[in-house]
Amino acid sequence: MPDNWSFVAAAYGLALVILGGYWRHLVRKERELDGKS
Amino acid sequence: MYARRAWIVLWKDVLVERRSKEALNALFFFALLLLFIFQFTLGGDRERLAGALPGLLWLGFVLSGLVGLGRAFLTERDHDCWEGLLLSPGDKSAIYLGKLAGNLLLMLLVEAIMLVLFGVFFNIDLGRRLPALAGVVVLGTVGFAAVGTLFAAMTAQVRARELLFPVLLLPVLVPVLLGAVKATEAVLAGESLSGVMHWLKLLAAADIVYVAVGVLTFDAILEG
Amino acid sequence: MSRALGWLVVVGLVAGLVMGFGVAPREAAQGNVQRIMYLHVPSVLVAYLAFGVVLVASIAYLTTRREAADRIGHASAEVGVLFTGITIASGAIWGKPTWGTWWTWDARLTSVAVLFVMYLGYLLVRGMVDDRERAARYSAVVGIVAALDVPLVHFSVYWWRTLHQPPTMLKPGPSTMPGLFAATLMVNLAAFALVYVYLVTKRVRLLRREEEALA
Repeated sequence: MPDNWSFVAAAYGLALVILGGYWRHLVRKERELDGKS
Repeated sequence: MYARRAWIVLWKDVLVERRSKEALNALFFFALLLLFIFQFTLGGDRERLAGALPGLLWLGFVLSGLVGLGRAFLTERDHDCWEGLLLSPGDKSAIYLGKLAGNLLLMLLVEAIMLVLFGVFFNIDLGRRLPALAGVVVLGTVGFAAVGTLFAAMTAQVRARELLFPVLLLPVLVPVLLGAVKATEAVLAGESLSGVMHWLKLLAAADIVYVAVGVLTFDAILEG
Repeated sequence: MSRALGWLVVVGLVAGLVMGFGVAPREAAQGNVQRIMYLHVPSVLVAYLAFGVVLVASIAYLTTRREAADRIGHASAEVGVLFTGITIASGAIWGKPTWGTWWTWDARLTSVAVLFVMYLGYLLVRGMVDDRERAARYSAVVGIVAALDVPLVHFSVYWWRTLHQPPTMLKPGPSTMPGLFAATLMVNLAAFALVYVYLVTKRVRLLRREEEALA
């Protein structure tokens, strides 16, 4: 069976985007709060 | 004292409904409409219809149940009776059981009507298997009404209640729906209930869990 | 302290990737696409962990009314939904080349899909109820109902799909796996659990600071 590395990359890439995006969102919000106080 | 309070809530709802017959009439026509739609979409092919019948039946029960439950706390909301509920003394879970009983009665009544209509319009002989069918329908509806009453109370005062109520309720009901449809399938096919005991046990377990959670958390929903 | 945790997360993830792509052997039947399992299975297990925490936090909130419990429940539900989404997406991506279809109504995918919608509902309650205290109470109840429903959903969907029906695909389960596969799975599971703890901690801190900013 062929290896389908593109699918593997897609799955891991998606996870990276989702978790990384959430993390960046949290960091950004914290920086906002830091900026205000 | 506790049982009496639950009974009072039930009796009040039954009286209101008997006088206005608002919910029952609306749900009756809704059931009729569903029947027509099922006939137009599936009626041509007898075999497909027979195969889909358990699912269609419960689809009808769910849709009309959603409408009925969505209105469950309508009087309290529209006529500013929430405070009355909140100020009532003692364990608020009695109110939950009273409301649950009222919703259950209404839903079972509509379901009975729907069963008769299905039997008549689709020419299905329900008579022989009626006790077993009734048992399955009651088991399924208790679970439906239990978590439905809880979520209806919760969403009654939320802005987006028409969206939030079904979105919360339907995923939680998946086990009840699966169990009820599978058991109904067996009953309508003439099989004995012993073959679907695992489904019936699942339904019973779900019913117990939902009612227990309702009783334990209704206080927290109402307060404030 | 959270800086140390952050670095631990990085170490864990690197270890997981090394195991997943370097150490674990190529699976005979499916080829290298099977490596998605090291993402997919830990995700769903961490999601279950997250929702278990939501259950405990919800009960704790309703019984003690402590705001910390509310914040932990909220944060854990958010992260849990993320991991559930990753589970579904990675499952679909794994499924396409393996079984030829993005989606199949098999027991596991269907259960997880129901799980996803249940906890999306939890987050919807949080978003749509304006009064903070009411949102906390309501979502706690939803968190409890959803968690108690999980075994019911699991069994009902499993019976629906497998009884009187031959299994449509072969799923490698941890219990029947040879050593290296299992070890890789464990390392990735630990790494993902660390990610969970890190993200929840960060989110709880943010929630607390947001409340303080409003006060």
